[in-house]
Amino acid sequence: MNDNTLISFRDVSYRYESDTDTPLPLALKNINIDIKKGEFVAILGHNGSGKSTIAKLSNAIIMPESGKVYIKGMDTVDEKLEYDIRQTVGVVFQNPDNQIVATIVEEDVAFGPENLGIEPKEIRKRVDDALKSVGMYDYRFHQPHKLSGGQKQRVAIAGIMAMQTECIVLDEPTAMLDPKGREEVMTAMQRLNKELGITVVLITHYMDEAVKADRVIVMDSGEVVLDGTPREVFSQPDIIEHAGLELPESAKLANELRKNGVELPEGILTPEEFIEAFKFCVSGGNEK
Amino acid sequence: MIKDITLGQYFPGDSFIHKLDPRFKLIFTVFVLVEIFLCKNFLSLGLIFLFSIACGLISKISFKVIMKGLKMIYLLIFFTSALQIFYNKTGTPIEIFGGKITTGGIFTAIFMAVRIISLIFVSSLLTYTTSPTALTDGLERLLSPLKKLHIPVDTLAMMMTIALRFIPTLIEEIYKIMNAQKARGADLENGNIIKRAKALVPIFIPLFVNSFRRAYELAFAMECRCYNGSNRRTRMKKMHTGWRDIVALCVVLLILAAIILLNHFFGAVI
Repeated sequence: MNDNTLISFRDVSYRYESDTDTPLPLALKNINIDIKKGEFVAILGHNGSGKSTIAKLSNAIIMPESGKVYIKGMDTVDEKLEYDIRQTVGVVFQNPDNQIVATIVEEDVAFGPENLGIEPKEIRKRVDDALKSVGMYDYRFHQPHKLSGGQKQRVAIAGIMAMQTECIVLDEPTAMLDPKGREEVMTAMQRLNKELGITVVLITHYMDEAVKADRVIVMDSGEVVLDGTPREVFSQPDIIEHAGLELPESAKLANELRKNGVELPEGILTPEEFIEAFKFCVSGGNEK
Repeated sequence: MIKDITLGQYFPGDSFIHKLDPRFKLIFTVFVLVEIFLCKNFLSLGLIFLFSIACGLISKISFKVIMKGLKMIYLLIFFTSALQIFYNKTGTPIEIFGGKITTGGIFTAIFMAVRIISLIFVSSLLTYTTSPTALTDGLERLLSPLKKLHIPVDTLAMMMTIALRFIPTLIEEIYKIMNAQKARGADLENGNIIKRAKALVPIFIPLFVNSFRRAYELAFAMECRCYNGSNRRTRMKKMHTGWRDIVALCVVLLILAAIILLNHFFGAVI
């Protein structure tokens, strides 16, 4: 493990407690994942593939049944390190309503730093900075329940940012949002990663979001089945489909057209790339 | 009707009243409530009523909002006043609609109505101008001596904040569930009281189940943000006692003196 590794899963297995006598199957089976500082990683998987379990394990909310989870070398099992771990990795959950504690936006963002016992002046600064970087500064005096889903989720992200964590894990942050809200949250996450250098782990089942990451990890029934750049991962449609997922719309369309004899290059992932390639194809390769 | 609950609602602003120290604001509110009960005649009551209206004007909260809050208790005001009219038999009798009422009755009725309106007015002004977090923080500090008796004041304050935070969320949810049940053919509007009460069961069961799930998720999210109910919590907003609090204190004390004098020199209605 080198110094650049922020989150490290070593042979991690996890099983949820069962209500009956028969134990549930393993939610995670011998997972090995290393996430480096500054990466934007998307974890893909259908429901029940174990992807949300990863979020909870990386924040010492649950402990692995076997194996180890290290956050910057800190073992999550060690209760004394709980505070330090949660100051390193913050988690944003799916439902924005259920993670906002206070009745005013800025007071909610201040909740994390207040818990850490930080000086009031410093909290004020952190809260303002965090709200500005997710574009919610103008809403700082608003009441959370009057905001849209995308806005609420950005407040939740700001709440984690104000704790100045090095890494933010987002557990399906866009699942309950409309397209506009998803766009807002995606833009905010990309900014955090590119401009502030925060490591982002995005757990999602939207392919179009995963395409924007530096690295994609595909999960299927508790195992990592693919791990690589979006281009590498989405060039394996068979494995993707077997994992219960679909290729991004643009890639699917390109593949179908290619099957029917349209000469499109491999590796098209985004609508922009598709348009570019299609223009080139239609013009017969004459136009650039 | 549930939507009219303005309890715990907060309207941000930067008026004189908004800027008062929440601890003092709490004390002042209790003080003024006591003063309202001390009033014995129309002069003193009129004074405190004007004072509440003045506070309302200073806070720049629209009167429409305050009236909306009063809507919930129109019935209460009406019945309390009506009872006074029929029970109080002092003063000159007047005959209206074949029934006998007295001037004394009418005066007490008006007196009661104004008193209740002032009470609600002042106490809702407190929540309208103080953010719930500031309110619970203020309460926490005022009650902090109780910590010595091992009463977890800070935890209780946190519980109160969360309760206030989730009132609008849960109201929204009630509407959603009601609509969902109506779409499945539930009849919520017709039938006698028992039938209608029974119709509420399929609304409240999902509400409770959801609330538990919410609580569970919220607890996770709070833990993620390093909450553990310990004392090392700090606050972003420090509470400052300033000239405003002293001015307000003087005003409240002056009014107390005026009420005592007015009570003393003019006859009592009650």
